[in-house]
Amino acid sequence: MKKIEKEKLLKHLEGKGDLVRLDEARQDPLSATKSSHLPREELLLLFRLNGDKGVEIRVPEGKGGKILFGVPPCEARAVDLLDLTFLKDRIDPYYERKRRENVLFVLACNKPRSTCFCTSFGYGPFSGKYGDVFMVDIGDNLLVDPVTEKGSKALEGLELEEATPSDLEKMESLKRSAEGAITTVNIEGISEKLKKMFLDEIWADLAFKCVNCGACTYVCPTCYCFDIQDVERTNWGYRERVWDSCMFPIYSLETSGHNPRPTGVERMRNRIMHKFSYYPELYGEYGCVGCGRCIRACPVNFDIREALETLKEVEVAA
Amino acid sequence: MRGNPYIPYPALLKRSYFESDDFSLKTFEFELLDGNRIDYIPGQFCEISVFGKGEAPFGIASSPTEGHILKFTVNKAGLVTTALHEAEEGSILGIRGPLGNGYPVEKFRGKNVLIVGGGFAFTTLRSLLVYLLNSRSDYEEITVIYGARTPGLLLYREELFEWEKRDDLKVILTVDREFPGWEKQVGFVPQVLERTAPSSKDCYAVVCGPPIMIKFTLPVLEKLGFKPEMVYTSLEKRMKCGIGKCGRCNIGPKYICKDGPVFSLAQLAELPEDY
Repeated sequence: MKKIEKEKLLKHLEGKGDLVRLDEARQDPLSATKSSHLPREELLLLFRLNGDKGVEIRVPEGKGGKILFGVPPCEARAVDLLDLTFLKDRIDPYYERKRRENVLFVLACNKPRSTCFCTSFGYGPFSGKYGDVFMVDIGDNLLVDPVTEKGSKALEGLELEEATPSDLEKMESLKRSAEGAITTVNIEGISEKLKKMFLDEIWADLAFKCVNCGACTYVCPTCYCFDIQDVERTNWGYRERVWDSCMFPIYSLETSGHNPRPTGVERMRNRIMHKFSYYPELYGEYGCVGCGRCIRACPVNFDIREALETLKEVEVAA
Repeated sequence: MRGNPYIPYPALLKRSYFESDDFSLKTFEFELLDGNRIDYIPGQFCEISVFGKGEAPFGIASSPTEGHILKFTVNKAGLVTTALHEAEEGSILGIRGPLGNGYPVEKFRGKNVLIVGGGFAFTTLRSLLVYLLNSRSDYEEITVIYGARTPGLLLYREELFEWEKRDDLKVILTVDREFPGWEKQVGFVPQVLERTAPSSKDCYAVVCGPPIMIKFTLPVLEKLGFKPEMVYTSLEKRMKCGIGKCGRCNIGPKYICKDGPVFSLAQLAELPEDY
């Protein structure tokens, strides 16, 4: 690994893109990392009806990439998970452009929170394989390591020093103490088990206190469901996509009045199944990174870690 | 479909007319503008845009063998469909597609085909039937059983009555109860299917209709000896993007818009009952 003073690195990044500082902000209520790839509202197209001449359609142009500085490993991993939906099968061009242009400077997480459980997913607060550049704050300096080609490019022209053995020792010690502060939930076998639990009565218990506010899905860095809406204007109208939530009744309500997920029970089941059964079945990865955001945002103190423990306890017929 | 899958083709509404005598169903015929055309197979669907109101998914009722006009039959039920019903001929709307997998028409070659439809779910079944009839000799016996509440709610009535006359095709039409002037079958689709008892030998069955019809039709098919992998149906759920991104139309890990809407009963047996 190399090292550099943080101020020097920040100065180097000036003017290279819209710089978003996440390193010092302990408040990042809606995951700026997610919204820089999948904004809460995003213009898909503009349209204007011209009488007999038909319809004019315009596709908005991009605004250029962002440099996200200080992304925690969990949220960078979450972007990799979003790729599985947005860059597979049919590529989503809006997402793809941002993914290509944005540069992620990941910062190892020195101070995990009590709600963190990332280590349950086979990685941790010092995993250096996410984003474009991996950084560790060792106090006086940042240790840096490019992860991708894009990351190497972003560091080009910088004078980087070689990290000393004592720097690396510092990193190891920070890593040990960070990892030690994190709860690990043993989720081995949960996706296979969940496949047999669709009709289990446990979902009613799990959903009992949930008020279906959708806060968990809004703050979640891996939740991506969206709605598409038209806005009619006298001149240029537009079509946009906006975040949606599987916890809302209207998400699955059909025009006939039929709703396949009429109560919070079915919706809770789908949210957990999607992350812990369907995503693994489709892509071999859990749709959760253990960031604990949903736990902190929940107004009724629903803790996904407890839910996973409960699900593990349930006995299912083989 | 074009590079950006969210951008609809501008489409001219050439013709629209009521399809049912209660004015709830209208058929729309579109022509894509600017030389665009889409290649589709029966059972696929499109998202129709009424700019300013939104988009909604509809099964394609025309057959690719009929030329470049795209036909849809739409029930007036919500915001987009009401705006669509109000759209004047000559208006420009948007069409995105084709979306979804469609019926496995290649598998039907050299086999018998049974089409069972109910109510206004006959749209993609019309597409399929017209497609099969276009190269009639590629298939063995074709049987159609189609029912609606009243004669006036049967879609494509004039075509149906013409198809009834053909001797290379068996068409059985039914309405739920006696109706003045109706001299064809009376009874629900599952009952008529049981009475007709088509052979399941070398036969694929395609079933579309309201959930209640499907529910009572499937056991009859099973009794007649149809195997789950030989029975296909087309599912619906609330949809937005149509390309497996927006999330909502999943049944377990499958998305109706992208992995369906057509599934065999064997495939459905593997999925949770979440529809």
